[in-house]
Amino acid sequence: MIIPNSRIATNSLRAVGARSWAPGLFLLAVGAAFAVSPAPASGQDTGTPQAASSVTQNDVKLVIGGDTIKNNSQGTLSVVGSALQFTTGKAKMEVDASSIQDISTNEDSRQDITGAAHFATMAIPYGGGRVLALFSHKVDVLTVEFKDAQGGYHGTVFVLPQGQAAPIKKQLVAMGAKAKVPLAEPAATNK
Amino acid sequence: MKRRTRSVSVIFPAALASVLLLMVGSLFGQPASGDSKSAQKFSASSIQIEPTDPGDIPMPVEFRMAIYENLITQIQKTGKFQHVYRSGDKDAASVPDLVTLRTTARAFTKGSQRKREVTTVSGSTSLTLAVHITDHSGQTLVDRDVKGKVRFLGENLRATYDFSKKVAIIVRDTF
Repeated sequence: MIIPNSRIATNSLRAVGARSWAPGLFLLAVGAAFAVSPAPASGQDTGTPQAASSVTQNDVKLVIGGDTIKNNSQGTLSVVGSALQFTTGKAKMEVDASSIQDISTNEDSRQDITGAAHFATMAIPYGGGRVLALFSHKVDVLTVEFKDAQGGYHGTVFVLPQGQAAPIKKQLVAMGAKAKVPLAEPAATNK
Repeated sequence: MKRRTRSVSVIFPAALASVLLLMVGSLFGQPASGDSKSAQKFSASSIQIEPTDPGDIPMPVEFRMAIYENLITQIQKTGKFQHVYRSGDKDAASVPDLVTLRTTARAFTKGSQRKREVTTVSGSTSLTLAVHITDHSGQTLVDRDVKGKVRFLGENLRATYDFSKKVAIIVRDTF
């Protein structure tokens, strides 16, 4: 009883033909290729960058520490591949994430006017205080400490628009950069 | 009239020559007076700069980095050393007459650029650091407290530039 039934089953399968097997085999092959390929899994473990998650920030000031770039240069800061890159119109600076010893942001760098100085701004006639307030750029400071090929220690300070330092730090830490102070979660979330 | 013009033509070059001689003499005289100011001069082919130790002072990291980077730039500018090595540079280990510059924070007051611009009397940033230069055997060559300030105009980090310039003067006088 069992044998004929099984024969019937196999026969019916054969009868369905290669047409129904072909898509299944194709899906199986694609699935196996994804399962065997180690790239995505190790990418998450070792911090290999993913092109889709790169961060770019314009209007960044390199305050100090750009070897070939002049202090106080304005440019674009981005995470390209596994490196932090700062480019101006003329020059480019690149720091590999793995060479970063510490990366820190400073949200306390804002220079708010309080106390006596606040009253002084209020006393400025014709709305002068308000004009001054227009120039009170609230900024983020990103400090990167890294080692060059010779083991030489470098420190680079960037000034970014407010709230933009945290995503860059987060991205670099994910790629293997060290950070003594972990990134605060609320700073990373945007509402 | 002719006598007068002749006498003028003789006196004028003589006066000019004497003025030039005085100027040259004063130029040669300057280094000698400068030398007499400094007590002892040391010689070293290379210097290594260590990052600023914050000690117990809550000095922001960007200030420490700015001090370190400014020190490297300003000491390179003195032209007193063949090499100015960064901390951790492998090549520095093989230099026999290497001297090391260390800085430790003693005091720090972070001011405000806005306050300085508005009030001109408050908001100055000041930092004081102990500057310590030792030779390869560990003997102290320089041990001084140096202050950096930004009073009226300029960013807070300019205090680190002011400090580094002062350290460069000390290095210039010492080596």
